[in-house]
Amino acid sequence: MSLLGRARDDAVIAVDDVRKAYGDVRAVDGVSFQVAKGEIFGLLGPNGAGKTTTMEMIEGLHAPDSGEIHVLGMDVRKFATQIKSRVGVQLQTAALYPQLTVAELLALFGTFYAPSRRQPVERLLDDLELGEKRDAQTKNLSGGQRQRLSVALALVNDPEVVFLDEPTTGLDPAARQGLWSVVRRLKGEGRTILMTTHYMEEAEALCDRLAIMDHGRILDSGTVDDLIGRRFRERGVHFGRAGAPDEEKLRALPGVSRVAYEEDEVVLYTSDVPSTIGALLGLTGRARTEPADLMIRRASLEDVFLELTGRALRD
Amino acid sequence: MRMLAALSVANLKSFTRDRAALFWTLAFPVVFVILFGTIFSGGDARYGLAWVDQDGSQTSTALRSAFAANAPVELTDGTLEESKARMLSGDVDGIVVIPRGLQAVIDAAQAGQHPDPVEVTVITDPSRSNTALAIQQIATGLVMASNLRLSGASPLLTVLSDSLQTNQLNSVSFFVPSILAMALMQLGVFASIPLVQQREKLILKRLNATPLPRWVLVGSNVAVRLVIAAVQTALILGIGVVLLHVEVVGNPIAIAGFVILGALAFTSIGYVIASFARTEEAANGITSVVQFPLMFLSGIFFPLEILPSWLKSIATFMPLTYLGDALRQTMVGGTPFVPLWVDFAVLAGWLVVTLGISARFFRWQ
Repeated sequence: MSLLGRARDDAVIAVDDVRKAYGDVRAVDGVSFQVAKGEIFGLLGPNGAGKTTTMEMIEGLHAPDSGEIHVLGMDVRKFATQIKSRVGVQLQTAALYPQLTVAELLALFGTFYAPSRRQPVERLLDDLELGEKRDAQTKNLSGGQRQRLSVALALVNDPEVVFLDEPTTGLDPAARQGLWSVVRRLKGEGRTILMTTHYMEEAEALCDRLAIMDHGRILDSGTVDDLIGRRFRERGVHFGRAGAPDEEKLRALPGVSRVAYEEDEVVLYTSDVPSTIGALLGLTGRARTEPADLMIRRASLEDVFLELTGRALRD
Repeated sequence: MRMLAALSVANLKSFTRDRAALFWTLAFPVVFVILFGTIFSGGDARYGLAWVDQDGSQTSTALRSAFAANAPVELTDGTLEESKARMLSGDVDGIVVIPRGLQAVIDAAQAGQHPDPVEVTVITDPSRSNTALAIQQIATGLVMASNLRLSGASPLLTVLSDSLQTNQLNSVSFFVPSILAMALMQLGVFASIPLVQQREKLILKRLNATPLPRWVLVGSNVAVRLVIAAVQTALILGIGVVLLHVEVVGNPIAIAGFVILGALAFTSIGYVIASFARTEEAANGITSVVQFPLMFLSGIFFPLEILPSWLKSIATFMPLTYLGDALRQTMVGGTPFVPLWVDFAVLAGWLVVTLGISARFFRWQ
């Protein structure tokens, strides 16, 4: 109790054993985690894992069936309005008045907050590169522009905490890179960010820490290095299968625990990469060949997810 | 207040930029008023009559002048054959035939004899019963009057046509308040559409993630409806007064009060629809279905007295019956169906009950 209490004091977001069921479906089934100030925390998991429901309970949009949620030290149930005035929310589906222009919509949302918190519309337009579209009705925006506007709307009150729900889903790679740099800038400005994603690359690129969710539960959480290192000590040495030495010789190399053949690649799993590679090059050198496309790869979040759930993330 | 104003302006902008919504809300009632006004401008309805004079005498010419001067008719002379052809092709509404021998009978009567009366034939189209009846009455009236004059008797009884109202309530004056009531009803029940739209597009959810209080959200929706109601009222009344010469006699505050109360009551019915419709399509469907009984089972287009009694008892529960009654009374001094305070109480009752239902069942997301 005391441990929990102390942690809650400096955690910007504290979620404690939260549950939410819709009929028979346990959408969120006992989720706990904390997010520290200035951190980017990610909820990673497939569609239907309970990420969005968890996030929307923290935003005060749904009441949890049980459990406690504190944001900025305040109980979400009791201080929803105070919390809402200090956080910014981007919903998964950009919800915009189709007939209003970008500038009108930003100004409208500005009126919902105290003048002292209100960000100038022009600055938001600049920050999210929407200046050219300021007088366009929102129904005429492209997917990337809508998503940037949606993020801009989350920033009108200069929020201390920003919630981003699948901010880059459906965007092309260039638009995605653009949004990533916006998220990094928000972190640079000292804001705390809670985001959901089902993209591994996005989680690896942005999140300081993340929680992997499936079926309403958190399966594991930590930094990317923690999550991978906890399960995968070994690394994979990959090279072309054509002209590779015999399997027995490969298995006898120092450090190698296992030899796997994947399509046209051979993978040596090893706990000692330098010794394994040295010996491999000695072996191929004597045969006057060299391993084609030699590559060392550590396990990825994809492997972690596969290990945790027994299936690939994008099933 | 700042939030309410900003959100209301945003909603109004959304509304005015949606051309289809704008057309249906503003142009439709206007078209309706003009259409009904043209059809029911009862005062100057004129009938085309073919005049077949087979006598060609001084008396028949005098009778023709009496018709032309004293009845709302246009006379076209011709033989019986020509006139029948004109009636069949729709050029005239009826035929009046003055038979040969009229002058002879008059002469005989003035000479103190008692000849058989001459038969003036009136040919009408029974399938157009209203027109046929009107022409028969006009002809009968004029023939009777001519009888009296020709026989030299002085009239003992005359009919003075008048109605109960201080101001003559013609059909147009009856319909303009009805159309206003109907427009307010539609404006109100269709309030469900933007609300369901905003819920479906997750705009309500997004607003709920801001500190915006819910009463502001509802308040701005209502405010927008009232602004549109004011514009509609001005348009319909303006057309009524300027083009159709309807005399508005009531107290402007009472009229405004009932316009507002009516708009609120029907908007609240719209919110009940929005509480039970999950999608915009469903809301559209329910609203269209609901508005027909609301419209036709109320006494706004025809007097309740002509309805069968079971329909009449349904109509006595319909809010539009009371809004129409109140507007007719306050605007043009129409005959009360019930006293004004009953109209007020029934509309207020609908407002309170439907607000309660919406408050209980409305879902924000």
